[in-house]
Amino acid sequence: MIDEKGRSAWPLSKAKLISRQKASRSAHILDFEINRSTEVPSPGQFYHVDCGGGREHLLRRPLGVHGTMVSAKGTARVRFMVEVVGWGTSGLCALEQGAEVGLLGPLGRGFTPVDGGRAMLVSGGIGLAPLFFLASEMDKKGMDYDLLAGFRTGDDYYPALSGLKGRIEVFTDDGTIGTKGMVSEGAVRLIGNRDYSAVFGCGPEAMMEAVADACEGSGVGCQVSLTSRMACGLGFCRGCVKEGRDGRNLCVCSEGPVFDSRDVKWKE
Amino acid sequence: MRLQRGPGLRLPRREMERVGMDLSVDLAGVKLKNPVMLASGTAGYGAELSSVIDLAAVGGIILKSVTEKPRGGNPGPRIWETPCGMLNSIGLENKGVDALVEEVLPSLAESGVAVFASIAGDTVDEYARLAARLDGAPGVSALEVNVSCPNVEKGGIHFGIDAGATRAVALAVHKNSELPFFVKLSAAVSDIAPVAQAAESGGASGLSLINTIPGLAVETVTRRPRLGAVTGGLSGPAIKPVALKAVWDCYIATGLPIIGCGGIYDVEDVCEFLVAGAAAVAVGTATFQNPTGVLEVIEALPGALSALGVESPCELTGSLQV
Repeated sequence: MIDEKGRSAWPLSKAKLISRQKASRSAHILDFEINRSTEVPSPGQFYHVDCGGGREHLLRRPLGVHGTMVSAKGTARVRFMVEVVGWGTSGLCALEQGAEVGLLGPLGRGFTPVDGGRAMLVSGGIGLAPLFFLASEMDKKGMDYDLLAGFRTGDDYYPALSGLKGRIEVFTDDGTIGTKGMVSEGAVRLIGNRDYSAVFGCGPEAMMEAVADACEGSGVGCQVSLTSRMACGLGFCRGCVKEGRDGRNLCVCSEGPVFDSRDVKWKE
Repeated sequence: MRLQRGPGLRLPRREMERVGMDLSVDLAGVKLKNPVMLASGTAGYGAELSSVIDLAAVGGIILKSVTEKPRGGNPGPRIWETPCGMLNSIGLENKGVDALVEEVLPSLAESGVAVFASIAGDTVDEYARLAARLDGAPGVSALEVNVSCPNVEKGGIHFGIDAGATRAVALAVHKNSELPFFVKLSAAVSDIAPVAQAAESGGASGLSLINTIPGLAVETVTRRPRLGAVTGGLSGPAIKPVALKAVWDCYIATGLPIIGCGGIYDVEDVCEFLVAGAAAVAVGTATFQNPTGVLEVIEALPGALSALGVESPCELTGSLQV
């Protein structure tokens, strides 16, 4: 695993941008080709991306995997869905084809699929990125699911959703498309009315908390993907930790980002 | 073969590799295979980084500070990127000295890296007990005595900004452990020299300079601090000039070997710290961007030293011409 110069073959790699497309008003889809063999990421895992900040911007940016594929040449490709938030993400969303970034990963613990029955996937905003990946993988295995996706407005809608095999329900804050209102409200209603084998959530914490509460009330297992600012990505700096329900710290990068919702201490 | 010396004289790189250069340094009796270490807090307890780099290749590892009892640390958010640096308010989250001794040190002792265990206490007595607990622990080459963490209410930086308190801590560690120890000081003082001299008079074997510098980041829309603990410690290239001055001041004021730390990003930075008076250096925040960066720095060091006309790192130490 460690070469003659003392470096590990995994998990550091370089990746070249193959394509970048605007997927909606707020999100870009970026496909990278990885220059060496890499572990195949699973839904919910992430890469810690060196966006080329040098001394100016020291920290990598954690990006959840949105998709993965093997190219005709047999090299691994990884897809990210990126929304412009700050310096790192705006740089990524302006990258030209052929540009290179540094990848550390795939890192973290992703979603654990639950066999049998029907699952619910519920996303808010860019939280769709890893859940779309999960849905695609479930499609390949013929698993049943409802995907509830919340957006601020119709312009944020991600058209590729229509290509999924599950039942898709869209919510927008302003009602421009789909159901007007919060995705969490729709999810809570359905969790109360139907039997789900498991619920998978990613989005704003308030959304995930509402979904987690409903799942706990109905006795349904719920896995949530948490977001946190990260430095190392490998679990040693303790910068990304969140408080767990039992008082133990949850290390988002190494023990997560996906947690059993019952282990998370939600804000009051 | 004797290398030619003098400014501007370079040994061709290939020749340099053929000859090889002894990069080893002696830090108060602690022999390091090269002067580039991993800084405390940015390398965990070693095991996590060992999946990415071979720890035996680095000069040494300064472990994350431990306290007597495990600590959960500060509420989040704990980190915030700033221009050329970052703020952190981890708050000394650690597994406690017992877990360090029982779970971490035995396997680290086999990795072939010089291990510096870092200790932080709320009281002088706690430092004394920590030093005693680590005395003779497997694989520990030296102690770093952290009297300058800006992220804890008690202890921490309050010792490191006061000469008397720093001396009391040094005396306590000296009395309770045979291990060489390096007192880690803060540059957030008006004059670091008296604090460094107090550490020296308390029996410190060396100094570790500098810890992070207290700082604040603000979110204007919400009028909230960016960090859950309100303030944090600034690290990264932004603090390098401050660190270099602290190293130089302490090099002049004491006879102690110095581990220089603060914003080291490449081999040029390493050389600057050596010139300012450091005997060894520690790479910290840069590890977050490039976990293997420390190895690249070590690889580049012989070439950089020969380009400066010296045959060893210690020849550069304190060579600042003023």
